[in-house]
Amino acid sequence: MVRKLLFGAGMIALSCGLGVAHAASGTIEIGMIADMTGPAALSGQHKVDGAKLAVDEINAHGGINGKKIKLIVEDDRGQNQAGVSAYQKLAANQNIVAIIGSIRSTIVQATLPYVARYKIPTMIGGTDPKLTHVGNQWVFRFRPNDTYASATMAQYAVKTMGSKKVAILYDTDAFGSAGNQLLKAALVKDGAKVVSDQGYTTATRDYTSFLEKIKNSGADTLATYMTNSEDEAQMLKQLRQLDLKVKIIGSTSIATAVCIQLAGSAVDGTYGVSDFVADGNDAAKAFTKLYVAKYHSQPDVFGGWVYDAMNVLSRVIAKDGTAPAAIQKGIRAVKGYHGVEGTYNFDANGDGLHGYWVVKMQHQKVIPIKYVG
Amino acid sequence: MFSEFIQLTIAGLAVGSIYALIALGFVLIYTSVNVVNFAQGDFAMIGAYFMVSLVVVLHLPWWLALLLAVAGTGVVGALFQLLIFQPVRNRPRNFLPVMIATVGASVFLEQAFLLIYGPIPYQLPPIFKAQSVALLGVHVYPQYIVIIVVTAAMVALLNWFLERTKLGKQLQATAQDPDTARLMGIRVAWMAALTFAISTALGGLAGLLIAPVYTVTATMGSTIALKAFAAAIVGGFGSMKGAIVGGLGIGLIETYGATYISGSYRDAFPFIVLILFLIFRPYGLFGEKVSQKV
Repeated sequence: MVRKLLFGAGMIALSCGLGVAHAASGTIEIGMIADMTGPAALSGQHKVDGAKLAVDEINAHGGINGKKIKLIVEDDRGQNQAGVSAYQKLAANQNIVAIIGSIRSTIVQATLPYVARYKIPTMIGGTDPKLTHVGNQWVFRFRPNDTYASATMAQYAVKTMGSKKVAILYDTDAFGSAGNQLLKAALVKDGAKVVSDQGYTTATRDYTSFLEKIKNSGADTLATYMTNSEDEAQMLKQLRQLDLKVKIIGSTSIATAVCIQLAGSAVDGTYGVSDFVADGNDAAKAFTKLYVAKYHSQPDVFGGWVYDAMNVLSRVIAKDGTAPAAIQKGIRAVKGYHGVEGTYNFDANGDGLHGYWVVKMQHQKVIPIKYVG
Repeated sequence: MFSEFIQLTIAGLAVGSIYALIALGFVLIYTSVNVVNFAQGDFAMIGAYFMVSLVVVLHLPWWLALLLAVAGTGVVGALFQLLIFQPVRNRPRNFLPVMIATVGASVFLEQAFLLIYGPIPYQLPPIFKAQSVALLGVHVYPQYIVIIVVTAAMVALLNWFLERTKLGKQLQATAQDPDTARLMGIRVAWMAALTFAISTALGGLAGLLIAPVYTVTATMGSTIALKAFAAAIVGGFGSMKGAIVGGLGIGLIETYGATYISGSYRDAFPFIVLILFLIFRPYGLFGEKVSQKV
């Protein structure tokens, strides 16, 4: 009796094993960490939507050389600790050939040591310039970094908006702190004066005290380097309640569908820099059409960069195979790829894009003004 | 300069009122059944989510939604104590298992509501549509005025209930000496349930009042409750007057400190005050000085 049970169990185990092996050879597994919960959950949802759109599209056209892509998403909860655990869980999975990392520089920075250890090509959206300048050869940035963003913001504020006294509000995490330093330097270089420089912790809910200080500083412009669109929206609403009369120019989180959805009319009249613009180029227009048709809402950078990352990755794998070193070499060799975020030309550091759009927010829409690149 | 001070004072009193309501909840439960309810902040979250469902989904008028949301939170609180407090209430030294259970319940409630309502923050529309109203020549956010007025009314109502109604006096008697109260014919188990219901209802009210300002998420209760707990200690843990003064005081200190000293350290100010009090006056502003004769 026991022998029969053991034999039966053995057969089941064997067939499971065979089944797994069969699945592994028929699909290509790509991992992704996303804010499924936490202070940036809405942005995370757009990220997952954008990635799924790319995966479904590629699989509908036969996948990569006949193999379907399987996207495995882990929740990073918008935090460093959970982000590292999520990344490790994906990296430990032997079947995963590449990982799409976070858009938040602080989470990317926390995972960099693991990227180097596991040697898995990792695509990131964080814009802190340091991330690709610390010698990590496995990281590829699918967005233009903040040296370009800060220069563009400062130049547009001083030369076109006529800003003379600027107040800066920045998030004290990796992205905001680095961006603040770059922005301050750029503004001073262009001839403006920084009259107020305040940092807040991510997910702050009450900006009244910061806004009062900005009012007292006599600034004519508020420049923001806020990491989460959720926080940007909250601040803008309170700014309008306090009836603060300043010109506003923000980093990319101001020009997202998330910000528009949460801030409503409070976002009108502000300026920003953005890498993703819905009608910025033909690829963006096509992507927007597909996104709106599937999800009935406007796409933004959160879905845009991962859509590009997935597409670039599938092209590279189709050409060079799934070995990590081959993917690494392949992505670095990508030149002239027309993605929704712009044309990708990867440099030696792993940066793919090198310019930003200046945009204006009007009637809760993103209106592109000019491309600086 | 002066108008800014008025704006900040009103904002400070508003957030302080929220801390006061939650601190009152802590103190009520502590004085009656000698436990600290570490899930108190999560009842603020529950009240806010109930309000979201009633207003955004069912489109009820706000005053009706408020009453139902507060009552609903109280009912959840009564169920909560049935599961956590009642089974162990007759054991000696029952406070430790109950307090640990409230910590566990806090985690459970946060995750449960995260599953039910999802991770995207909800926008609760403020009670008055206007973005700002002119008060004494200063532009003020109307929701802050609503918070202050409703809190004052609720505290007055609570005071009337405890001092002037038979049920309220029974509640106070049970808090002072449960055994004698039982001898007097008071149903002590029901008093515990009522205390939890009132405390959690206060917490729920705090949550739905601050929700239009902070947006509603599953974790909104924990930071607020931590500061309210500090406020209760500063006021004298065990004194209702202390909870109110402590709450308002912490709210004002936090707001003034964030503006006049440093915005980045906003969340630190309540805890700096707490540490100072614990060092120099651990029994708080209105607490009883407890000394032991050795």
